[in-house]
Amino acid sequence: MGAGDFAVIGTGEVPTGNYPERSEFEIAYEVSRMAIRDAGIDKNEIGAVLTAGHIMSNPDNDYNTEMFFGRLPEAIGANGCSVVATTISGGASSFSIRKTAEGILESGETDTVLVVHAQRFSQFTANEQARYFAVAGSDVEWEVPYGMTYNSLAAIVTTGYMAYTGATIEQVAAVCVACRKWAMLQPNAMFNNKEITVEKVVNARMVSYPLTTLMCNVLGDGGSAYIMTTAENARKVCDRPVYVLGEASEYSHRTITRSVQKDPGKMGDDLAVTAKRAYENSSLGPEDMNIFEIYGSYPVISLIVMDSLGIPDERPSGELVLAGETGPGGKYPVSTNGEAMSFGHTGTGVGFSTFVESVRQLQGRAGAAQVEGAKFLVENCGGGAFMDCHFTVMGNEVPG
Amino acid sequence: MAGEKIDIETIKAMLNLSDEDLVKPLPIPTRWSQPFWDASKEHRLVLKKCSACGYIDHPPYLYCTNCHADEHEWVEASGKATLASYAINTFGVPFPFWVDLPYVVAMIDLPEGPRMISNIVECDHDKLENGMELEVVFDDVTDEITLPKWRPVDKTKRG
Ligand SMILES: [Zn+2]
Repeated sequence: MGAGDFAVIGTGEVPTGNYPERSEFEIAYEVSRMAIRDAGIDKNEIGAVLTAGHIMSNPDNDYNTEMFFGRLPEAIGANGCSVVATTISGGASSFSIRKTAEGILESGETDTVLVVHAQRFSQFTANEQARYFAVAGSDVEWEVPYGMTYNSLAAIVTTGYMAYTGATIEQVAAVCVACRKWAMLQPNAMFNNKEITVEKVVNARMVSYPLTTLMCNVLGDGGSAYIMTTAENARKVCDRPVYVLGEASEYSHRTITRSVQKDPGKMGDDLAVTAKRAYENSSLGPEDMNIFEIYGSYPVISLIVMDSLGIPDERPSGELVLAGETGPGGKYPVSTNGEAMSFGHTGTGVGFSTFVESVRQLQGRAGAAQVEGAKFLVENCGGGAFMDCHFTVMGNEVPG
Repeated sequence: MAGEKIDIETIKAMLNLSDEDLVKPLPIPTRWSQPFWDASKEHRLVLKKCSACGYIDHPPYLYCTNCHADEHEWVEASGKATLASYAINTFGVPFPFWVDLPYVVAMIDLPEGPRMISNIVECDHDKLENGMELEVVFDDVTDEITLPKWRPVDKTKRG
């Protein structure tokens, strides 16, 4: 397999937010239909339907079970479907499911794969959500009994990062401001109608020092889908395919205490090795990137991933963000949909919305958020307690 | 880092929580971690050391994560540590922990090698500093479970 063997030809997405009446199945059905229409293909060309496992299932009407028992191909009338599968690896699901899609395409079973994500947190009470997220990010035996939470995990990393790099809390807050600015340009973002400032972010209610409420992501319902095919087929059926040009991955740990990188301030150094491999696999470099589609989930993670991406500027990541260089109109656009911080955290779907936004940007169809002339970008995701990291270089042409 | 005090009874009524919703989660020891919790109950901090390569695993697992050997022994830890990094929870924690707000969760480095998540107790939150020296204290949370926690060695940093 070489660079540019696979391509995405269409996407679909519903707004993120609180929609308790909108079931996961309804989301999955809707985004599938949108992606098929967007790709301009016949539904019967779909040979495989892959769904991302969602988190926090409702036992009375379990979406995961419905999906891996084959509800979706029937519902959308995908009469040519021969493969049904569910893939999940937390926040890294968008990557692992795409690798599954690539494997199916490589096997020759079909040349058209539909990939779908759907999530509905709002069906659960605040207490149910708090309980789930008390154990999802942390070890139940060794961390949860101490009152550890996802927010405190990110706070611990933030404290370490600031101590090591000299980044300021204003720079951390500026990430949230840039995300909000992008989200304001996105019709499907959860928080797209109220600007925030560094001052407002820093002075918001403290949640887990040094993180305030506006430095912590908010859960939302949402979903998206895309159609993936071989590059060869893509060129036949689509006038603006988006190619996967290079990928690289690394896994480190389950519990943060066992992170391969011991200094929470230096996590970017480890990620840089993986990012470099992704660039090399694509035969492109950071100077070729028009956009950096980062899945932060917390502002400090955005800074750490920025550090790892080799952005061709001498200024440290925090300074770039504070200077507005990563926001709309900046030199280095980062997370153009506002990602988990302002687009909303849809569980296993944050990486999906980042990926779908990447495709839209490279198709020149990102609306008000469009980065003019975007040709190449690097996209990332990761899951667990920052357990892994995946980088993908994408483009609307295959570099010769 | 005083933070506002939250009345748990108000929260309870507002969100319709049961008494059960306010019970703190406890470790459920596994076959291979039981010796850690047994020792903790006796106010001793022990660590699982591989008999083949000497590697100390924490959390302890079924076999050594360094060399895969099964044989191991439990060794007494020094009870000293340093603070690697921390967070001070002030809001939005699971309901059973609201009564403790604000509280410190931290990553602790043991001189024996491993790192653990725990609480820093008996400390002045304004004097927390990465790298500060800590010593173990034992919190008997139930008759069965004792959680090892940490406090500053320097008495002037205690709250
Ligand atoms: Zn060993």
